[in-house]
Amino acid sequence: LTLPRCFSDLIETFRAQLRDDPDVASAVAAIRALLGFLKQDRGETIQGLRNSLRDAIDTLSRVDSSVAVSSGGELFLRFISLTSLEYSDYSKCKEIMIERGEIFLTKVSLSRNKIAKLCHPFIRDGARILTHAYSRVVLRVLEAAVESKKRFSVYVTESQPDEAGQKMAKALRKLNIPVTVILDAAVGYIMEKVDLVLVGAEGVVESGGIINKIGTNQIAVCAKAQNKPFYVVAESFKFVRLFPLNQQDVPDRFKYKADTLKTGQNLTEEHPWIDYTSPSLITLLFTDLGVLTPSAVSDELIKLYL
Amino acid sequence: GELMDLIRTEGQRMTAAQPSETTVGNMVRRVLKVIREEYGRLHGRSEESDQQESLHKLLTSGGLSEDFRTPYPSLRANVIEAINEMLIELEGTTDNIAMQALEHIHSNEVIMTIGYSRTVEAFLKEAARKRKFQVIVAECAPFCQGHEMAVRLSKENIETTVMSDAAIFAVMSRVNKVIIGTKTILANGALIAVSGTHTLALAAKHHSTPLIVCAPMFKLSPQFPNEEDSFHKFVSPQEVLPFTEGEILAKINVHCPVFDYVPPELITLFISNIGGNAPSYIYRLMSELYHPDDYEL
Repeated sequence: LTLPRCFSDLIETFRAQLRDDPDVASAVAAIRALLGFLKQDRGETIQGLRNSLRDAIDTLSRVDSSVAVSSGGELFLRFISLTSLEYSDYSKCKEIMIERGEIFLTKVSLSRNKIAKLCHPFIRDGARILTHAYSRVVLRVLEAAVESKKRFSVYVTESQPDEAGQKMAKALRKLNIPVTVILDAAVGYIMEKVDLVLVGAEGVVESGGIINKIGTNQIAVCAKAQNKPFYVVAESFKFVRLFPLNQQDVPDRFKYKADTLKTGQNLTEEHPWIDYTSPSLITLLFTDLGVLTPSAVSDELIKLYL
Repeated sequence: GELMDLIRTEGQRMTAAQPSETTVGNMVRRVLKVIREEYGRLHGRSEESDQQESLHKLLTSGGLSEDFRTPYPSLRANVIEAINEMLIELEGTTDNIAMQALEHIHSNEVIMTIGYSRTVEAFLKEAARKRKFQVIVAECAPFCQGHEMAVRLSKENIETTVMSDAAIFAVMSRVNKVIIGTKTILANGALIAVSGTHTLALAAKHHSTPLIVCAPMFKLSPQFPNEEDSFHKFVSPQEVLPFTEGEILAKINVHCPVFDYVPPELITLFISNIGGNAPSYIYRLMSELYHPDDYEL
């Protein structure tokens, strides 16, 4: 399958961004790559632009099948549609789009700091926090808490199969936070010692639930059983238009890595990489739009897409 | 801009003086929102444009933020008029809530309440004019405000019973509804109410009895329950253990907290001057009353 030159440029830009700045969110990298694609697009009509963008987003999700890339792409497409509604002259429209795209990217890069500012007062002095796998937003929040002179300790789940927990523990040790890595199976055991659970999210769905690394649902259920608050931190571009009713409803293209999907083997043999946590288990969501209860999430999504 | 800064500084001083009185902060925030709205109206922005952060705004806005620099001479008059409207609304809140009483209380019901709340008193009195029901009042030690509530209710010929806080769970199986007032409503739908309310709420949940909270909108505060436990107020432990018991006082610690935290899952309905709402809807009411930039005064 030979891709047109512009698409391979797109993929290259995307990959390059992830390589150069490991801290950037994959959705932001995707949006930046799409903006670059938009700039050098030679089309003359909005329809043509939308079609080529759709193809571009498909190509990107074939490279990185995470929910965040998909939601970032959707958001960008929506952004294009909204702007195109306001201006009928194509070239002017394109200029405005590019300008707004840059502003959007600046705003979005500030979102992690906004979230950290909102979230760190919820971490008390002497708190014991449980977190899951590797999340850059959670890292930023904990960094902000350290900066405000709070003392706390963290338990991180190992998060098999890619041992993302170890990566998180290393990053936390650099911040001088006392860390303990625990087995994924030890969550039930450790829950009574913990004061609060703080996780990131790969995607936030319409019902207010989250899609995150496999194992999150277990942690949420244990936290509910022991009455511990379960906090989620996520940037607003991760809001996605899905409404899964159970685990099976999450589309396959998110559950497995892009390479596995391409080989087309029998997916029942594969382990999924993500799971869905229902909103009744979540206490609060911290986003750059503010501190939200799970019921407020669908309101935000409606405001955008309607 | 300057006006808002002035108000903000005054607001900070007032809330620092008595942090448990959240209504002071709430009112300051409402005034700030009024100023923003009036300014926006004069500045020529349409009513539609949403002041709130939203994904939509993220995508379509041209600039990053707006300042309130441009002076408008009529701004002052408009703001004063809007504040007067707000004052009229505030004065009518108890009546508005009481008007909804008939829909919620039915004949021959047993209602439970705790302590003394003017809003609940008005609510029950209004219902008593047309319906016959009984009220059980938990006395709410150590201040025993429940006694005063019972006296006032019985003056209106409502059959009232007073009981101690310890008996709440025992009596709960015979109660049809629990109606309480509160000190503050927090942003996630939780309550700060008199001490003893959490026990009442848990007992009600256990027996699946609906818990109705009557509170006017000015008690809605955009704070979340977090480390800034500034809402906790402790008073003299004299009420719990009087100073006459001198000898043992040296050996024990006595606390007398005034307020209790009730989580949102235990509450069924909020009745306020704008109608009945579920606790999960509180975030929406908050976005209508206050502007996000003002949450931190």
